[in-house]
Amino acid sequence: MSRQASGLRAWVLQRISAAYIGLYIIYATGHFIINPPQSHADWKAWVADPLVAFALSLFFALLLVHAWVGIRDVLIDYVKPIMARVALLTLFGLGFLGCGLWAAKVIFLAAMPS
Amino acid sequence: MKFSIFRFNPDTDTTPRMQEYEVEVSRGMMLRDALMEIKRQDESFSFRHSCGEGVCGSDGVNANGRNVLGCITQVADLKEPIVVRPMPGRPVIRDLVVDMSQFYQQYRAVKPYLIRKDSLPEQEILQSPEQRDKLDGLYECIMCGCCSTSCPSFWWNPDKFHGPQALLQAWRFLADSRDQATDERLDALEGPYKLFRCHTIMNCVDVCPKNLNPTKAIGHIKELMLKHAI
Amino acid sequence: MTLARRHFDALIIGAGGAGLNAALQLANANLRVAVVSKVFPTRSHTVAAQGGVNAALANVQPDNWHWHMFDTVKGSDYLGDQDAIEFMCREAIPTVYELEHNGVPFSRLDNGRIYQRAFGGQSQNFGGAQAARTCAAADRTGHAILHTLYQQNIRARTHFFDEYFAIDLISDDEGAILGALILEMETGEPLLIESKTTLLATGGCGQVFRTTSNAHINTGDGMAMALRAGVPLMDMEFFQFHPTGIAGKGMLITEGVRGEGGYLVNKDGERFMERYAPNAKDLASRDVVSRAIVTEVKEGRGVGPNADHVLLKVDHLGEDIVSKRLPGIRESSKIFAGIDPVVEPIPVFPTAHYVMGGIPTDRYGRVVAPIQKGPEEVVPGLYAAGECACVSVHGANRLGGNSLLDILVFGRAAGQDIIKYLDENPNHRPMSEAGVEKAVARLNRWDKRGEGLSVREVRDEFRKVMEDHAGVFRTDEIMSEGVAKVKEIRAKLADVRLTDHSSVFNTARVEALELENMVDIGMSIVLSALERKESRGAHSRPDYPERDDNNWLKHSLYTLEGDQMDFKPVHTKPLTVEPFPPKPRVY
Repeated sequence: MSRQASGLRAWVLQRISAAYIGLYIIYATGHFIINPPQSHADWKAWVADPLVAFALSLFFALLLVHAWVGIRDVLIDYVKPIMARVALLTLFGLGFLGCGLWAAKVIFLAAMPS
Repeated sequence: MKFSIFRFNPDTDTTPRMQEYEVEVSRGMMLRDALMEIKRQDESFSFRHSCGEGVCGSDGVNANGRNVLGCITQVADLKEPIVVRPMPGRPVIRDLVVDMSQFYQQYRAVKPYLIRKDSLPEQEILQSPEQRDKLDGLYECIMCGCCSTSCPSFWWNPDKFHGPQALLQAWRFLADSRDQATDERLDALEGPYKLFRCHTIMNCVDVCPKNLNPTKAIGHIKELMLKHAI
Repeated sequence: MTLARRHFDALIIGAGGAGLNAALQLANANLRVAVVSKVFPTRSHTVAAQGGVNAALANVQPDNWHWHMFDTVKGSDYLGDQDAIEFMCREAIPTVYELEHNGVPFSRLDNGRIYQRAFGGQSQNFGGAQAARTCAAADRTGHAILHTLYQQNIRARTHFFDEYFAIDLISDDEGAILGALILEMETGEPLLIESKTTLLATGGCGQVFRTTSNAHINTGDGMAMALRAGVPLMDMEFFQFHPTGIAGKGMLITEGVRGEGGYLVNKDGERFMERYAPNAKDLASRDVVSRAIVTEVKEGRGVGPNADHVLLKVDHLGEDIVSKRLPGIRESSKIFAGIDPVVEPIPVFPTAHYVMGGIPTDRYGRVVAPIQKGPEEVVPGLYAAGECACVSVHGANRLGGNSLLDILVFGRAAGQDIIKYLDENPNHRPMSEAGVEKAVARLNRWDKRGEGLSVREVRDEFRKVMEDHAGVFRTDEIMSEGVAKVKEIRAKLADVRLTDHSSVFNTARVEALELENMVDIGMSIVLSALERKESRGAHSRPDYPERDDNNWLKHSLYTLEGDQMDFKPVHTKPLTVEPFPPKPRVY
């Protein structure tokens, strides 16, 4: 990883993702209060809207980026032995990747016309 | 007034201990005065101090859990018993004297000196009062170490993270209209450690005896870095 | 035990402005230079200088170095050496520009030039209107300069020995200086630095007085080392009491406060300086203002429950000026006097501040002493600069803003001359093992155990004696008693014992070594003062109230061996301009 990617870029990504996550949570909360889906089909229909699907995908992507930068910071601060840190970073990385794929699958299936 | 003082002499002690002292407090007595009084009672007690007026930065100590400069901290403002320990996170040499080498290393690492590439004028390099104002709140740092030794990020990574003091000085030169090494300075701060271990915990701002604001300076550096990257 | 040894081209003892400016010259010339300091360099007392540094830049008012020279000669009460003063005032201008180029954050004028303020004793046109000659970085000029010089030395990769205490100089049979024995405080181990040249830049000795603006570290170590090496101390009777220390505490309130328009009042609210100095008023020379304040208090016009101080009024300047130009003073007043100068006046009283005398040097920083042929023979390999040295540019009284100038100009000059000296003397002289043993013995003396007096009690007694017997006003009776008492204290030193003999960071041992240094210096002050039977500058004798140019226009020299006093002539001839002959000194 380049020094810039691990320094400034990571920091900027954390800020930008935080902003998006914050805004999206406000939007989603508002949506679910004003117009709560009555059934699974309702929910699926909502997600099927390409705009919603895109925004939701982006939300998960940025959430994972945010979590990645955050957990990386924590591991850099507290886990000194380099092998242990690499192992934990890999573990969390794979975990986050798995979460991402799972989220992608859920959204993709929901958005597919059934 | 009761004082509980951290004592450790590697010549004679295997583990540190807290020792109680009783000091008669006079009006306007500073913590440094009290420590000097303790030194009168017990000459084996060591601590650093010099100017007595808050400009030399020698007597940073931890009093009742907070990093302070002894000579400008009123004893009357502290709760009894006053527990005085060395500044945290640094290896103890003896009693309240800690090893500040890493702190000084980090200061050196930010190239804390004006870098000028143009040829020098016969007279002063001109600087408007507004440009000069940008250095206020930066150049006054006395390097007491209260900030960096209260910074958790500096506790975890004192070898790699510059810490609030050094970063304040990094910004002091970035903010100086006369300095001509902005790009090099910013490049040198890249990477996950030197600058970006700051998590805006703001202990530094809270304890700085000169009321400086390293966190704000760090924010300015990040902004400038971003501007340069775009 | 074998003694660790290191070798350098130049050894600089002291890391204040003089030491660091000399080190910078040497490091820039790629010489091996070691700077030894008993504190981390930015803790040196230069850091506390507030007001500024004088240079006739003429940024605010018309000015030139010749006027600056006149003011300095007059301020010195004609005891300053006019060749050295001319050199300093000429060099002031490039020196300040060089500092600025090195990064000192000077305050600025609207046109972008360095801000200059009025200070005491400054005039235009040889005694005319008030000049503004003091270049300032708010009221933290010393701090700004010291940090900048340290920073530049980091760039130049100067070798620092931080927290090493210098025990003694090592000299050989010819009196040449070969280096010094130093003590690593962290381990308690001695270390021998062999050096082709040694510069003493250890600063002042204000700690000999009980109430002082000086830091705990200002114990005159370099002066005492010079004394023990057989070098006399010059003009030690001239000790400046700064008029405005915070009453009862001693912390300094810069003359810049009066330069910005502040003034002194007594209990009747009278602006009393108008009586003592009708023209310059509150910006008269420091000795004049200090005497005026002490006189006011003595005559019952003091302020406070004990009528023991006067007031410095600033509130009329308004919050804007105070927080912009005097932020440090506002902070200090709040912390130490519990008052905000924007609202209330500051209680002040003179405080022991600066020693005009010191190790005699020429204007190249070379230490000069009467060895065999004349009064000013160069001591081979030894230099001194800054407050510990006496060039003499301050004579009997130093002007505000001239001390930062002194350390910078002569620190630099010493550095430059060392470069030349090393060119001509490229080899180390053979080390004198007898000299080393003597220095080691001085350290080992403190290993003696058993019952005895404590450093603390002797130090307290000594500092009280100095305050009582070498203060602002001095009579034969007071001084004679002082000499007797200091002799008594000196005799007691043999009975002082440490209880702490540990090695790691033993500050008790350092304080013991400092006490020895201070007592020798105290003796030089009281003896020189008793000897000088006239009133000149800071040396004020009610029993000899007049300046006596026929008998006393000469420098005094105190030698440790046998407590001898000697004298040498003042250099009344400048380098290129006409001399300023002694005239009555009125402000």
